Amino acid sequence: MSDQDLKTSVKGQILSTSDLPTLPSVLDEVTKLVDDPNSSTEQVAKVISQDQVLSAKVLKMVNSPIYGFPGRITTIQHALVLLGLNVIKGIIISTSVFDMIQKAMSGLWEHSLGCALASGAIAKAAGFEDPEEFTVAGLLHDLGKVVTAVQLPELNEAICMTVREKNLCYYDAEKVVLGFGHDRINAWLARHWNLPPNVREAMTYHHHPDRAQFYQQTAAVVHVGDFLVRLFEYGNGGDDQISYFKPAAMKILKLKMKDLEPVMDELSEQFVEISGLTF
Amino acid sequence: MDKNNNHGLLGLTKHRCILISSDNKFKELLRDIWSEETLEFICYSQARGAIEDIFNNPPDLLIVDNRVTDISASEVARLVKSENVYRQLPVIICLDEKDLSTPWDWNEIEVDDFIVRPFFRPIVRERVNLTLCRAVRALDANPLSKLPGNTSIINKIQTLIDKNQDFALAYCDLDYFKSFNDKYGFSRGDEVLSMTARIIVNTVRSFVGEQTFVGHVGGDDFVVITSPDIVEEACKRIIFSFDGIVPNFYDIEDRKRKSIVSTDRQGVVQTFPLMAISIAVVFNIDGKLKHFGEASAIAMGLKKKAKENPKSNYVLDRRTP
Repeated sequence: MSDQDLKTSVKGQILSTSDLPTLPSVLDEVTKLVDDPNSSTEQVAKVISQDQVLSAKVLKMVNSPIYGFPGRITTIQHALVLLGLNVIKGIIISTSVFDMIQKAMSGLWEHSLGCALASGAIAKAAGFEDPEEFTVAGLLHDLGKVVTAVQLPELNEAICMTVREKNLCYYDAEKVVLGFGHDRINAWLARHWNLPPNVREAMTYHHHPDRAQFYQQTAAVVHVGDFLVRLFEYGNGGDDQISYFKPAAMKILKLKMKDLEPVMDELSEQFVEISGLTF
Repeated sequence: MDKNNNHGLLGLTKHRCILISSDNKFKELLRDIWSEETLEFICYSQARGAIEDIFNNPPDLLIVDNRVTDISASEVARLVKSENVYRQLPVIICLDEKDLSTPWDWNEIEVDDFIVRPFFRPIVRERVNLTLCRAVRALDANPLSKLPGNTSIINKIQTLIDKNQDFALAYCDLDYFKSFNDKYGFSRGDEVLSMTARIIVNTVRSFVGEQTFVGHVGGDDFVVITSPDIVEEACKRIIFSFDGIVPNFYDIEDRKRKSIVSTDRQGVVQTFPLMAISIAVVFNIDGKLKHFGEASAIAMGLKKKAKENPKSNYVLDRRTP
């Protein structure tokens, strides 16, 4: 099968994804919160913001044309205000948990949460407003990997095997097996789900921030965040390599390497705090 | 079982219904289900006389039998539904089983429901009840936000006043909505209105155990009715969410600049701040208000005060009677 054929057939399967499972611990915690009439939107938003699948589901729903403002809402807090807790309850009830692949995937959850935290800290260091928008972009940057694992288990197995046998990073192994990477899958999903353009571009260009059209800064923040979280060896993005670092990203952010030092100090504390707590 | 006492419409004020049918048994059945104080049936065996009555004095429900011969039932339905003044009038058509041998085109015959012979009392009862309830629900909803409109708002306020119940009435509207609409077009203006409606509804609903009501007067005007105890906190939360979310609805440059620049018809360049929400709150405590008109008059006065501030804010009417 040529690349082009694979792209077409895979795209259909990817976009038909209807139920992405999440980690049981997160789901338990959110369920408890939404069942308690005393819990606030802020509390619920905080827990959902730690989970890439729940966050993606919430953003997908609030940005769907049904609500009348597609592509507008970037943060989980805003999404919850607009959806209301009844809809959130519905989303939670309809979310299943990982069973067998749970162990293998929990590394990716940690990596994604780590990238979210790192992206928020970098955005702050670069002096951007609304760091929460960058956090969301960081959280969702590897969503394509989750969808591949769930929707295309055989191809996913082939990718993992290529990582091991050829000692490649996951991104390069995807290109060997599929002919394209999870960044392409992210682009399909983000467009199909009407996610806001800044999140969409970060998901699509986090490996090549200089190629982003309108939101190079968001893509660059996530690029650096991805790099830092791998440097800390927090979680697992599918391989044990440190992702290629593009100097262009720092230029886009107008940051010097030494500006990252306080960011790294902050992150090392946060990672110690959350490790073993959530998972 | 007591006759006329178990018809399922006990909360309903008296409604008029026109029945066009030559089937006397059916007429008796209907009159037997509901008392005249709930549903009064005016019966015609032919359509001709009924139509003038419908046009001059539209009932709350029309039931038309497909056995009527002088004018077909579908023609009667078409006459009613093709004129926007009568369009909202719910119509039920009665069919014989043979009428269903081929599919009906319900786009052509815009009735609201149908019932089939032989008539089974509970089905007739529930079909009619459901149709009436559905008509009441659909009648006054704002097409954009799906929130209740003016008729429901006025009824709600007047009912609370008549019951001598304490309440707070908050009028919300947007500052600089018009300039946003002018620059970005009405479909993006509608996005902002949908967003505003959802913020208001979800914020008010998040107060567990409180009786609340949200209505959409039209355009960028919304009404919240809630208990006086929580209204100030609700205003604060609405403002907080609105101010946080509204920048997402601007183009990236305008969002960064925190304003929009547009040229008016005289060619003068003008700058407008980002949209804000103004809320004016009127209280009805210890039966201060006698009529809903008073509430809106006080609110309009307060609104001017709230609008003096270009940022989102709320003003409470603390005057004592």
